[in-house]
Parts: sequence; C-alpha cells; structure tokens
Amino acid sequence: MRNFAMADQLDRTIEILIANPRLTGRGADQELDELARIAGELRIMRSPEFKAHLKADLMERAQTMLRAAARVALAPPKPENPTIFSRAGRERKPGSLPTLFGESYAGYPAQGRNFVASFLIQAAVIAVLVSSGLVLGYHPRLKPPVVSLILPRDYAGEARGGGGGGDADKLPAAKGNPPRFSSEQLVPPAVVVRNPDPKLSAEATVVGPPSLIFPQTPMGDPLPGVLAPSNGPGNGGGIGNGADGGVGGGHGPGVGPGEGGGFGDRIYRVGGSVGAPRAIYDPEPEYSDEARKAKHQGAAVLSVIVDSDGRTRDIRVVRSLGMGLDEKAVEAVRNWRFAPATKDGRPVAVLVHIEVDFRLY
Amino acid sequence: LKAVESEADEWLAIEAAQQDPTRFAELYEKNFDRVYGFIAHRVLNREAAQDLTAEVFHQALSSLGSFEWRGTPFIAWLLGIAGNVLSGHWQRLVKHPEVSAGDLELASTDDQIERRAIIFQLVDGLPPDQRNVILRRFVEQRSIREIAQELGRSEGAIKQLQLWALQNLRMRLRSDYA
Repeated sequence: MRNFAMADQLDRTIEILIANPRLTGRGADQELDELARIAGELRIMRSPEFKAHLKADLMERAQTMLRAAARVALAPPKPENPTIFSRAGRERKPGSLPTLFGESYAGYPAQGRNFVASFLIQAAVIAVLVSSGLVLGYHPRLKPPVVSLILPRDYAGEARGGGGGGDADKLPAAKGNPPRFSSEQLVPPAVVVRNPDPKLSAEATVVGPPSLIFPQTPMGDPLPGVLAPSNGPGNGGGIGNGADGGVGGGHGPGVGPGEGGGFGDRIYRVGGSVGAPRAIYDPEPEYSDEARKAKHQGAAVLSVIVDSDGRTRDIRVVRSLGMGLDEKAVEAVRNWRFAPATKDGRPVAVLVHIEVDFRLY
Repeated sequence: LKAVESEADEWLAIEAAQQDPTRFAELYEKNFDRVYGFIAHRVLNREAAQDLTAEVFHQALSSLGSFEWRGTPFIAWLLGIAGNVLSGHWQRLVKHPEVSAGDLELASTDDQIERRAIIFQLVDGLPPDQRNVILRRFVEQRSIREIAQELGRSEGAIKQLQLWALQNLRMRLRSDYA
C-alpha cells in the first residue's frame, strides 16, 4: 500500500515539475525528495532518437571531410599555398584557398555544389557588369562619310591670279601665247620690242608655276586678239589691256584676268569639257561629342572650290546639320587633296558641292 | 594513475579524430550527455537544447583540427563552444544576458553536469517497460492516463512503473556517482 501512496504522491510532484520547468524537485521525505530531484533532471532529457540522429549527421559530415582531404592529397603538388605578406614582409598569413579546401582554421569543407554555384553567380555578376559597361560606355562609331560632288546651280565665278600689261598701244594685244612661266620676272613680255638693243639682255617671262607650259606660238595674249603686232592698250609693260608687266587684262606679272601673278582663270563647273576633280586624300571627319551624345546624324553639304592645284578653298556650308557637325565637315574637307579638274587637258579650278554623310552604326 | 591513463586515452582519441574525422564518434559518445545536460539546464527547452547541442558538435567537428592539448579535458573545450553557442542563442532571443566568463568557469566544473549526464545515460539501461514510461512521461510529456491508454495498462500500473524507474535510477546513480 505504501508503494501505491508513494507512486501517487510522486506523480503529483512530477505533474507540478513538468508544469513548472524552473521548479526544483522536492519531496516530503528523503526518498521522495531524491526521486523528485531525479525527475526534475528528466524533464529536459533528450529524445531517445536525437543522439543517434546527431551522431549519424556528424559521421556523414566526417566522411565528407575525409573525402575532401583525400582529394587534396591526390591532387598534383602545388608550389605553395598562396600567402599574404604583411607590409613589413615578416608575417605570413594563410591565404584563402586553404579554406576552400577545408584545410584552414575555418575548418569546414567546401561543398562542391556551393563552389559551382558561387562560380556561376560570380560569372553572371561579371557578365552583367561588362554588359552594363558596354551600354553605358557606348561610343557610336562613325560610318565613313559619303562624299558626293554636286554641280552648283549658280556661282558668280571670280578670277584668281593672273596679270596684265600693255604699253598704251592703240590696237588690242596681238593673239598668241605668253612666254614661259618663271618664279621671277626680269623682262616683261612684248610683241613689239621698243628697245631692240638693250645693254643687258634677258629672257622675257611671266610669273607663275614653271611647270605650266604654253604651246610655243608667237607671243601674244591667249584671249582673242588681233593678228597685227601690238602690245595692247594696257600699261606698265607686257601684253594686253591690263597693267604691270604681265599678259592679259589683269594686274601683275602673270597671265590672265586676275592679279598678282600666276595663271588667272575663271572657276569652272564640272561638265562638258570640264572633268570632275578626284579626291586622293580624304580623311574622315570626326563626330562631334554633342552629336554623338544626341545620336544626331544626317548629311551636311559644303560648297568647295577645288583649285587647279588640287587644294580646297572657299568652303561654305550649303546645308547645315548642326550640333558641331558642320564645323567638323569643313575642318576635314579643308585638308582634302584632289587630282584637279581639267579642261582641255589643263588643270582648272572648279566649284563643287560635297555632301558629307554622318551616320552612326 | 587512472586519471593519467584516462587523459592519455582522451588525447589519443583526439589525435585519431584529427587525423580521421570519422573517429570523432568516440569523443561524441563520451561527451554527448554532458554537453546536452549543460545546455538543457540553461535553456529549459528540449527542442532548443537539442538544436544547440547539434550546433556545438558540428562546430567541434569543424574546428577539431585547431584543438591543442593543454592539459584541460576535452569536455572543457566542448563546453567553451557550448557557451559561445548559448551566448549567440540568447543574443538572438534578446531575453537573456550573455553568458559571463564566470558562468562558463562554473559550468565547466559543475557536478550537476556530470550527474545529469549520468542520469540520461542510465535511462537507456532501464528495463524496457520502465524506460517506455519515463520517455513518454518526461520526453513526450504525456499524462499518466494517456500513457495507460497507449500501453493498455491501468493508470496505477503506470504510476508504479514510473516509481520503480526512478528508484532504479536513484540506485544506479548512487553506485555510479559514489
């Protein structure tokens, strides 16, 4: 009977202990007190399968560590683990790779799947960074400009170079060709020689490019003139109705309607007997920063005189594109060089329109 | 002499586990109940105690290579890890202060840990019917009536088995702990 009573009393104590985890077991007598203390400890006893499950988990992990260590041991020998030297160059700290293989203080082995996942994530991040850099740092490339030579619809041509002369003859100048060109003139040309016995004799020349050679015909003015010998009504020596020792109606020691020497000529238009100039050096114009940022594109048209020496001059913007592209086009075309247009086999200056097409890829 | 041999055996077991992690099982078996008892006494919650105990042993297995023999028992090293794990646990809960160094010092020499560990181990050695009652009553925290219905016994019989189990534990504890 005593056992039944003790069992009842003990169970009531256990009931209280379970309901109040912080209570310490106490019993009415010594035996019950000891049993209650043991019961108090049992309240937090682990579940029976927990210990075995945890052991199984740990052993599985230990096997993983063992395999990882075996893989490292079988791997070909490496020179040394990477080390980091302190600034003073004295202390060596372990690198990060040993941790990857579970060899360092970190102690945990690297999971193969985690390593692959990490690699893939990092590769994706790098790809995103690179692609975003390409987008943000987009530099549009310039499509080579399309250059078109366009016949100008109207142009009030002007004479350049040339010269003129005469000695107040009543007749127009005699028809013929000027003397040879020279870089300097000692004696002006003359159809009618006024001093047949000069103290110093020299060849009569006109000032101009020595490479230009006129057909060897009787001396005179190439423009329509008379067949009678005459130096023309001009003044200052020379032949023609101009002045200053040249040939023609201009001023200066050259030939033609202009002034200042050389072979004065008019500006021609391409067509008929006038051939088009051909670009032999045409570097591409640059894209302006403003137009590149705005992704502005289109065609600018320039009016250009391609001189008889193949250089460009008198560049004007006929159709503006704006955003600095006109200036870039003019800057480029100014440096272009052409094989000059020709008329009757002779280089002549022509007026052309050049279309510069700015395009972004 | 026995203590020296025991220390030497423990050091050999640690060295073996450092060479071959699967040998950690021996250290686990020897120290599991002490670590669990240490933690369970402080969290008073079986689920949390089991989770934290698992964390301690996983950390111990990971860090075993860095363990250096300095004359202190291996259990002291384990309880040091347990203290850190508990500290982290309480910081997460923000209900309890961190474990102080004094607590850890006391815990490492606390006889209650040993006593509790022995009691837990002794339960496994109880006769099956007594062990069943103890596990259902204390681990599953069933009532006497529920256990009686489950096992097909009277409530009085279950109370009697519970009493015998505790008396049995007291007797074995006295002989083991004396």
